Amino acid sequence: MRSEREISRSSVTRRGFLKRVGATAGTVALAPAVSLPFVSTALAQAKTLKILQWSHFVPQYDKWFDGFAAEWGKKNGITVTVDHIPHLELPARAAAEVSAGAGHDIFAFSGSGGPHLYEKHVVDLSSLVSEVEKKHGKVHQVGRQIGYNDDTKVWSALPAYYISFPGLYRKDLWDEVGMKPDSWEDIRVGGAKLKAKGTPIGISLGHSVDPNLSYRSMLWSYGASECDQTGKRVTLNSKETLEVVKLVRAIYKDAMEPEVLSWDDASNNRLLASGRGSWIHNPISAYRSIQKANPELADKIHVWKTPAGPVCRLACGSPNSYGVWRFARSKDTAIEFLRYWTDNWVAVFEASTGYNHPLFENFVPTPMPILSNDPTSHPADKLQVLQTADEWHATYGYPGPAGPASDEVADNFVIVDMMAKAATDKATPEEAVAWAQKETELIYRKWSAA
Amino acid sequence: MSVTAQAAAPRRLARSRFTFDRLEVLGPLFIIPAILYVVVLVGLPFLLALYYSVSAYSIFNPSYTFVGLKNFREVIDSEIFRRTLANTLIFTISAQIIGLLLGKIGAMLLMQEFPGRRLARALIVLPWAVPVSLATLAWVWMFDSLYSVINWTLLAAGLIDPAHRPQWLGQEDLAMIAVATVHAWRLFPFGVVIFLAGFTSVPQDVLDAATIDGAGFWRRNYQIILPIIAPIIMIAVIFGTVFTFTDLSVVYLLTKGGPINSTQVLGSLAFQVGILSGDVAHGAAICLFLFPFLLVAVILLLRSLRRREI
Repeated sequence: MRSEREISRSSVTRRGFLKRVGATAGTVALAPAVSLPFVSTALAQAKTLKILQWSHFVPQYDKWFDGFAAEWGKKNGITVTVDHIPHLELPARAAAEVSAGAGHDIFAFSGSGGPHLYEKHVVDLSSLVSEVEKKHGKVHQVGRQIGYNDDTKVWSALPAYYISFPGLYRKDLWDEVGMKPDSWEDIRVGGAKLKAKGTPIGISLGHSVDPNLSYRSMLWSYGASECDQTGKRVTLNSKETLEVVKLVRAIYKDAMEPEVLSWDDASNNRLLASGRGSWIHNPISAYRSIQKANPELADKIHVWKTPAGPVCRLACGSPNSYGVWRFARSKDTAIEFLRYWTDNWVAVFEASTGYNHPLFENFVPTPMPILSNDPTSHPADKLQVLQTADEWHATYGYPGPAGPASDEVADNFVIVDMMAKAATDKATPEEAVAWAQKETELIYRKWSAA
Repeated sequence: MSVTAQAAAPRRLARSRFTFDRLEVLGPLFIIPAILYVVVLVGLPFLLALYYSVSAYSIFNPSYTFVGLKNFREVIDSEIFRRTLANTLIFTISAQIIGLLLGKIGAMLLMQEFPGRRLARALIVLPWAVPVSLATLAWVWMFDSLYSVINWTLLAAGLIDPAHRPQWLGQEDLAMIAVATVHAWRLFPFGVVIFLAGFTSVPQDVLDAATIDGAGFWRRNYQIILPIIAPIIMIAVIFGTVFTFTDLSVVYLLTKGGPINSTQVLGSLAFQVGILSGDVAHGAAICLFLFPFLLVAVILLLRSLRRREI
């Protein structure tokens, strides 16, 4: 047993504690200052490239991309880092990197909240785009919508690819009712018959990305849109929009289950995978997952174009692009890498199993690999309809350009809520359209003043 | 004179050597980090938010042009915002009531002697300790439209019709109940800890005297225990209200404010507008609507607390 004196001697005194804390804090504070010259010299000597992109829905694409980037880095003596984060976290991450003025060199934008918003913070890639156009053909209209600002004549990003939105349907079930889901009217009529048999169709009416794309597709096919060609005047309050809202209400009541109101982006995939769903509007990732989990069910699922409306057949594709931050340390290296990436686009396409759709005319030869003949699909030409996806796709902002205003309308789910209000009888179709017109006008007005 | 001067020198040295032993020096020294923390991480962002809210600042056009109260007027003009404000109040009040009620019941149970009480006390803190994203994801699955374990249980018990299963995150009223319940579940351990601390501070002799005088369970609870622990509960309510009013994680992870903005709260809307859409000025204006509500709530609660102490 120790005496009281011993205890007192061995215990920490206030003064001693403060001295030690002070010394430790001083050392910690001085360490970076002392090591800075050595570290900065080392950093200057090592060439690096940092890329941030979303965790792709086709995981093997990420694996391929990481290897592709590392190999390029090895050839050129550059250390390449590729970080992947969930796509829904990209906008917050972009805002954080801009606020900090530091982060990655290449930033992959996906969905709404993209390059137009960050135009003043990214490098103008006009010369790269024009170079790629010369080499690989004209950029697709979706590509222009994604990356080009007609007012400032700036390409704030390199259009990377878009994700197509076809219809995935159970051929066996649709055959039973003697129909094919070729138009939105077919979806209403056939969907009602199939719901009665216990196999409804499904388009989300919740706050998620998919319905933002699906209901825009529907509006455009009926000749309606949220704005005009200039992208400045809101045109939602129209008889065409009203017709679509009424159609959605009918589809919700007759062909879908109320569960669609709570759906996230994976819910429609789960409906199809459960064997209970007869049609969903979704990229082929849903089909690819089912191929792995339930090949027998996958064989019954077929892929067809987005449904047509009385005016046209047009789907809203999900836009993807690469931007280079102005504060990037390796701007030239970043542009060099993007150039190399565009020169290897067939490999990009194959690695994504046909999921990434090209945005430059000659990126992928026709007949397209995989889509024209997919050995994993039965029949092998099941995906061949996607070869014409260019003809029936646009993206946010159509018929105008995409921009911060069209992105915010999407981020706030105004179009989806307009449909949901009418579908659930919280408002008449007329009231729902008037509400959406007002909310959209508020958003467009404030961005036009920005 | 010189003797006095010679004696003063070691005294000065001694005084400076023992500076850190003096309460008037050490006190401020220890409080400075806390003050710095509040100023840098709360005060400055608050001032910045004030500044942004009266500017035209956006990620698209990062300019600090002064626009007065225009952003506030535009925000109020939006039906989505007005609904969000009402939702925030409903969400906060209901989560507080559910969380504190559960906390009280939990604390009363944990006051009893039973085998494994210490383990139960440790486990009860889990909802608080588990990262919110993980915990909420578990709830997402419990409320899932196809695979909800809650619906499965209700179906198995014959309490609901299979054709009309509740859509926990799809029906406006149920979605609000769902997000409030999950938040209350997160607050519950905090409530338990606060009530446990309160219960243990109630003098046993007061309770014994009341029992001898014939006070039953309810009378002891509501006329003796609750008045005694009221100041502690007030603190719990203040903290809980602030946590809930400013929370966006539960809503964002469960419903993203849907369906039809029925669960949108100020925090999630500000994030949506200010960060996702890059309209920092309007996002800041939305955020600042939190401030007067919280200020009034905290003042009222603190005044009530002081009155009780007097």
